[in-house]
Amino acid sequence: MNVSRRATTVLQYAFLGTAAFLSIFPFIWMAISSTNKSIDIISGRTGIGDAFGTNVANFFSQVDVPLVFWNSTKLAVLATLLTIVVSSLAGYGFEMFRSKARDRIYALVLLTLMVPFAALMIPLFMMMARSGLINTHIAIMLPTIASAFIIFYFRQSTKAFQTELRDAAKVDGLKEWQIFLYIYVPVMRSTYAAAFVIVFMTNWNNYLWPLIVLQSNETKTITLVVSSLASAYYPDYGVVMIGTILATLPTLLVFFVMQRQFVQGMLGSVK
Amino acid sequence: MAEVRLTDIRKRFGALEIIKGVDLSIEAGEFVVFVGPSGCGKSTLLRMIAGLEDISSGELTIGGTVMNDVDPSKRGIAMVFQSYALYPHMTVRENMGFALKFAGMAKGEVDARVNDAARILELEPLLDRKPKALSGGQRQRVAIGRAIVRNPLVFLFDEPLSNLDAELRVHMRVEIAKLHKELKSTIIYVTHDQVEAMTLADKIVVLRSGVVEQVGAPLKLYDDPSNTFVAGFIGSPRMNFLKAHIASLTDKNATVSLTSQPDVRLTLPIAAPSVAVGDVVTLGVRPEHFLGQGKGDADVKVKVDVAEHLGNTSYVYAHVSDEERIIIEHGDVRDIASRETLTVAIAASRSFLFDKNGNRLR
Repeated sequence: MNVSRRATTVLQYAFLGTAAFLSIFPFIWMAISSTNKSIDIISGRTGIGDAFGTNVANFFSQVDVPLVFWNSTKLAVLATLLTIVVSSLAGYGFEMFRSKARDRIYALVLLTLMVPFAALMIPLFMMMARSGLINTHIAIMLPTIASAFIIFYFRQSTKAFQTELRDAAKVDGLKEWQIFLYIYVPVMRSTYAAAFVIVFMTNWNNYLWPLIVLQSNETKTITLVVSSLASAYYPDYGVVMIGTILATLPTLLVFFVMQRQFVQGMLGSVK
Repeated sequence: MAEVRLTDIRKRFGALEIIKGVDLSIEAGEFVVFVGPSGCGKSTLLRMIAGLEDISSGELTIGGTVMNDVDPSKRGIAMVFQSYALYPHMTVRENMGFALKFAGMAKGEVDARVNDAARILELEPLLDRKPKALSGGQRQRVAIGRAIVRNPLVFLFDEPLSNLDAELRVHMRVEIAKLHKELKSTIIYVTHDQVEAMTLADKIVVLRSGVVEQVGAPLKLYDDPSNTFVAGFIGSPRMNFLKAHIASLTDKNATVSLTSQPDVRLTLPIAAPSVAVGDVVTLGVRPEHFLGQGKGDADVKVKVDVAEHLGNTSYVYAHVSDEERIIIEHGDVRDIASRETLTVAIAASRSFLFDKNGNRLR
């Protein structure tokens, strides 16, 4: 290896190491902080402390953990499944069926990506209020299930789906919904896995809309609870960090379990 | 097996007509090849027969039943696709049995049919593999097996060998021919490769821009093409076309003179002349029909550009004039490349005459 190649390699490793450290530092800091008392965290202590057990006990005494986890899990899983079903059907339809109106409708769908959520909050809230859905989990899910981004993602991925597979299935006697269910879904499983990871994380971490819609403690999700702990008059940051760790674990779990399919899906591979 | 009849079949996409009134009779057990250049409509016509494209007008019957609006799975057809179209998440066995299982056939019967087809196509060791673990040729055999198990009235092949390398293509061509001999089924086969058409077909249908140019047995099309398009498409390398004009006419013969070399005159038989003296015509000569100097009815002097020696024969790329480039198959001479000019002979009996519109003058 000559000097310039070695220097390039060192630079590459230095860059990647820095990027990796910057990405992972918040997690390390979160983990370390969860072992310290609030006063130590505020004073900037970076070493591992001995308050982990106390913080966990305090968190469990202040928060109805099973309830908020159930709320978050129910919301995230249901909203994710509904989003994937609706958006993949739309993506499949936009790619497979030709009509003069198709591209215009698709352009309208993509246009909704340009509208910031802040602009939609008040009209959405009014719609939900009029429909009597305030403080219900349905109100959280409804605006998310037809996701323009996921429709776009499925349509782009569907371009890699061989149209001859659809023809072969027709010759084999399958109706369109059967082609979708028995051929498209299994063939596109990497795309579904990637979409599941993206949508699950988005739904699990959803904060602003649930904050507006959910008004009782019985319906609140983990993100709202952690946020409320952090915004108390005297926040106990050790307890907040325990909440943050618990809120992060499911998304980490989903990501690591589906990492391979996620990468394949993002690369657009159809196996 | 069943006969297939197409009566004034048309396909339109909006104002654009792709298939312009095709009339065709395919007899039961016949191997018919649709051939033509890209965009001629051959695949569209096949897909219309399969039910994968709607028929804008006309009538399609398979086995005497009108099939225009019948679902593809109920037409009694099975189709082999260019990309094989094997379901990637299923094993070979599942791929082959899927349609039968889906139609509600008993498992024992499905297994028996799959095993039979696997035996015919020598796929038995591969039955539990997924398509991604197969070579191109094996995938193609599975695709054919998937068609066979359905025991269809008509097999449809859409450029099935296009994705294979040259050697495998020849091998699979022979396999398909053997299969037809064994199953005696009606086969409609689409290709742009005239060698496949010539070697496989009982009957070739030459298409151009959605119109049937000529239908006939392979050698009939080779020996007696109706126009310059068919003459150029059937035969490899393609037929040479030389500009000429009618020098003189009798009741039975026309004497033509080459435009580039007026001294070269050739007399060909014409039964019913529809041309006059002085009319521009085209003289067609296949590369393999040129003869050695003095051995034909007229000698033509050409300038040699390049010679390709294939071992068993040689192809000489030459030009008669600046605009007229020709190919000559020259089996005997190996030192052509070193020559600047070459004189070859044309035999009237192996030449074709076409009018200015490209139609054959017989």
